[in-house]
Amino acid sequence: MTKRIAHVDDDPDIRDAVARILEKNGYEVEHYLTMKDFIASLEQNSNPPDLAILDVMVESMDAGLTAYAEIQKNHPSIQTIFLTSLGDMIRQYFDKESDKWVCVMEKPVEPDSLLSVIEDRLSQSSNNQTGKAY
Amino acid sequence: MASVHFDWKKSSDTVVLPASNSYSDCAAKLSDDILISNIRWFIIFRWGVIGALILIHVIALLVPDTLIQFRVIEENNWPITITLILGIANLFYIYALNSSNPGKFNTPSVNLWLQIIIDLICLSVVVHFIGSTATPAPFFYILHIALACIFFSTLESLLVALLVSAMYTLVLLIEYSFAGQFFITLSVDPAIVQNGKTKNHMLFWMIALDILFFTVWYLVSRLSLVVRAHEHQLAEAYKRINQAQHEKDQYAVLMTHQLKSPLDAIRSKINLIKGGYCGEVPEEIKDTLLKIDRRATNMAGLILDLLRLQRLKETCSCSAETKPVDIQETVLKCIDKLTPVINTKNITFNISVDPFIYNGIPDQIEILVENIIANAITYSHENGSVEITSNISKKGKNTTLTITDHGIGIDSDDLPNIFNEYFYSPRAASHNKATSGIGLSIVKIAAENNYLNIDVTSEPDKGTAFTVVFPKVQFPFTTEKTKSSSVLDSSLQQQ
Repeated sequence: MTKRIAHVDDDPDIRDAVARILEKNGYEVEHYLTMKDFIASLEQNSNPPDLAILDVMVESMDAGLTAYAEIQKNHPSIQTIFLTSLGDMIRQYFDKESDKWVCVMEKPVEPDSLLSVIEDRLSQSSNNQTGKAY
Repeated sequence: MASVHFDWKKSSDTVVLPASNSYSDCAAKLSDDILISNIRWFIIFRWGVIGALILIHVIALLVPDTLIQFRVIEENNWPITITLILGIANLFYIYALNSSNPGKFNTPSVNLWLQIIIDLICLSVVVHFIGSTATPAPFFYILHIALACIFFSTLESLLVALLVSAMYTLVLLIEYSFAGQFFITLSVDPAIVQNGKTKNHMLFWMIALDILFFTVWYLVSRLSLVVRAHEHQLAEAYKRINQAQHEKDQYAVLMTHQLKSPLDAIRSKINLIKGGYCGEVPEEIKDTLLKIDRRATNMAGLILDLLRLQRLKETCSCSAETKPVDIQETVLKCIDKLTPVINTKNITFNISVDPFIYNGIPDQIEILVENIIANAITYSHENGSVEITSNISKKGKNTTLTITDHGIGIDSDDLPNIFNEYFYSPRAASHNKATSGIGLSIVKIAAENNYLNIDVTSEPDKGTAFTVVFPKVQFPFTTEKTKSSSVLDSSLQQQ
């Protein structure tokens, strides 16, 4: 089954780069310009994406972080990756616990590493679901 | 070979300013913490007074006539009583402060009030026995008024001033038996009625000292209000500085993002072409794109370095959280992060680092180690080698971590300046066109914040050794016994 990935970024060139890479590798990509749009789509749609790639500074300085908190609370099944220009510099905004498992990637989009991180995250998600089934 | 020791002394003393909530706090009492620390000081001071009284009593036993002559002591041995009262009271204050649970009637303020009242009663007894007008003893009342003005609110200090005035008046009345006037009607001995001259003398002292007491109260309480208002303003200013610092950081983050975003978009597109997502591209264009990408990467690195430098400057050792940092682990983590650059230049890494732990700011120590290693890679020749070694000293004092490269080295004239911000060495710049001069400034600030010193030894065309000196380290319990065998000794030949 094709995995669905949501990508939120206000930069059209980054959105285009991510879409080309993911679509060529068999993923279905949904784009959102703002976190607000993405959260609204999650509320309306009963079938959430498997993974979300979030920028941090979209409509405000911490919109990505706020959206992340909301996803963790209301849609814990969605795997999340931060793709930001600031890279590891945003780690200070997470508490010590979450720092271990929050996935932060620094822009620019590097096809091989992006695909490897996505595969890793999705396999973690599958393992969790298999674990639950047992 | 030139060698320079870099030592950035930084005071560990921090000033913590109390943050008042409103201007009205200025007229209120000091915080409980300040009161408690002063209560302890008063208790120690009182033990000194008790000691002095015991000494007087000992002298009285040895030469009783001399003390009686100077009216320091009477035959009725009042110092023993006062000593006992003050001693028992002091023990009670200590118990209330340390052992008893705080409650409605056991607060630092109540403790301080009790101390003042008992001290005033004891002082009045002393003044009564050694003379209320013949000796300077009554002037010790002023000390209590001044202290009340400092530690209590204006109204409470006025109450203390009134209490002092009443007590001194009472002492005068008793001493001059003026009180007898009131007891005449009660058929108390009429002989005790004093003549007019003595009465005037007493009235003169009473009025003079009362004026003095209230003048001191007015001046000190006013001064205290001014000091508290300034303290409040200072706390407000401190709060505003923190707020401004936060806003500055936000602005720096925003600017970094805005500057780096277009570069990231350009580099993302280059990566698409490099990865074959835009179809086949001639080799010539690919080469050109690689060059564009390299310059954009350097530019992006510089932008992030600027933000790092800004953040490090704002983080002082007092506000950042220190933790035990495993230096061996940090070195390996940095090598891992730098692997792509190591691969590009085909550098061989020889690592021999003992496991040891330093209590510092983890992020900053990582930045420091990463920057020194990155520097060693940058200024090494292609296919060169870098050694990372540690030297554990006895008792963990001055343990060192040395990163040695065999690259272009540093001129002896440039060596003292390498940690200066934006220092530009034409020789270094010709080797590394992307140099910003920030990397070692970041190292310097991280070292400063973590109380580390760095020795740099270098010889042009031979190489450079950076030795980080850790003043006090610990060793992991699990590895301590097998320390010699657990030394990491690996040679990483990067492909």
